[in-house]
Amino acid sequence: MSDGSALKTGVYRDTLLAGLWRENPVFRLLLGMCPTLAVTAAVKPALTMGCCVIFVLLCSNIIVSLMRNLLKPHLRILMFTLTIATFVTIADLILRAFVPDMSETLGPYVPLIIVNCIIICRAEACASKNGIIVSVIDAVGMGIGFTGTLCVLAGVRELLATGKIFEVAVMPGRFVPWAAMGMPVGAFITLGLMLGLVNLTSKSRS
Amino acid sequence: MGKLRYFIEQSWLLIVASFVFGLLLAATNYALEPVIRQNRTDKLNRLAKGLLPAAEHFVDIGSEVEIESGRGQSEQITVYRAVANNDKCVGWSFNIGGSGFADRIDLVVAVDAAFEKFAGYDVLASNETPGFGDKIKNDYYRGQFKGAPVGRLKVLTTGNAEKIDSEIIAISGATISSEAVVAIMNGVVGQIRERLLAEGLIDVANAEQRSQDSNSDTGGDVGNE
Repeated sequence: MSDGSALKTGVYRDTLLAGLWRENPVFRLLLGMCPTLAVTAAVKPALTMGCCVIFVLLCSNIIVSLMRNLLKPHLRILMFTLTIATFVTIADLILRAFVPDMSETLGPYVPLIIVNCIIICRAEACASKNGIIVSVIDAVGMGIGFTGTLCVLAGVRELLATGKIFEVAVMPGRFVPWAAMGMPVGAFITLGLMLGLVNLTSKSRS
Repeated sequence: MGKLRYFIEQSWLLIVASFVFGLLLAATNYALEPVIRQNRTDKLNRLAKGLLPAAEHFVDIGSEVEIESGRGQSEQITVYRAVANNDKCVGWSFNIGGSGFADRIDLVVAVDAAFEKFAGYDVLASNETPGFGDKIKNDYYRGQFKGAPVGRLKVLTTGNAEKIDSEIIAISGATISSEAVVAIMNGVVGQIRERLLAEGLIDVANAEQRSQDSNSDTGGDVGNE
């Protein structure tokens, strides 16, 4: 393998891994807090939200990367928003057509992906400065990182709030569900504890 | 001319992108809109059929019923006639909504053929507090409406929830959500009944008989006071 291709492979790997842990959008960059708190009462809606974000992030990164040389600096945010809004609307229509129950569960949080900072941040920080391959890898890494985090949070909350995971009972019969974990207070507590845990892990590693 | 040239130079990408994205959205909407509309109709029918098991299908009465929804505003409600396989009307169903504790509550309500008693309601969409307000979806609360008289319903905080009458016992810890459901019913159902009666769509004398027949056929619990 030549030095050039080894370097490229290294860049691709770093870009992918950044989204998963080092620059994880929720635990490290604290972006996308609105869906993180709002749709993590159960794993299914969290997973659906994650898939929507991956779709929008992937499509917007591809389009922004393709038109990066044509962007006027003062119009770039307008172009990003226009691109993101288009793909969010498409994602919303697809959900309403093929998973209507989940679309109702997620409610306004799917249209609100338009103002999700992760997507506009990746368009600005990565896609508008890099080629299509790096932009796609960045979108996949960030998307999976975001989805994984949402699912972990949702898993903890659903388990404690209902005794179930994916609506399948896993806790013993005498378990008393903690209704508060299904409410906003549960989202804040779980996220706070997880952020603390992540910081503690990072500190002990360094 | 110079200004126009400058404008086009600066904004051509935005104009082209708006046009292309608009086309993309139009095409997606054109492809998916029938599926979305069908999903909504299917859900309404599924919920209404659960409330009126004797019904074979639901027929739109043809024109929307205009009702006063408060604060001087009017609302159009689509009313469906529930028809059994012998073509007899066994009830009516409609989708109504109003403010809940956290967000809007959308209900599917069914009444008997004479529009005298509720056959029940189901929740089409709500965002009430998990563990409290969302109990409006539970049988404990919904069951109190099955057979309750169409008219002014009243919410009480204590009482016998098994007794079917115009007094609805609120869900413990979710009085506002309980009251919201009753307020939606009180605000709309009576008005729909008046409109249907005025248009001669409810044949009270015959409908009452049919309703009793269909209840005894299905062993339904409508009217089990």
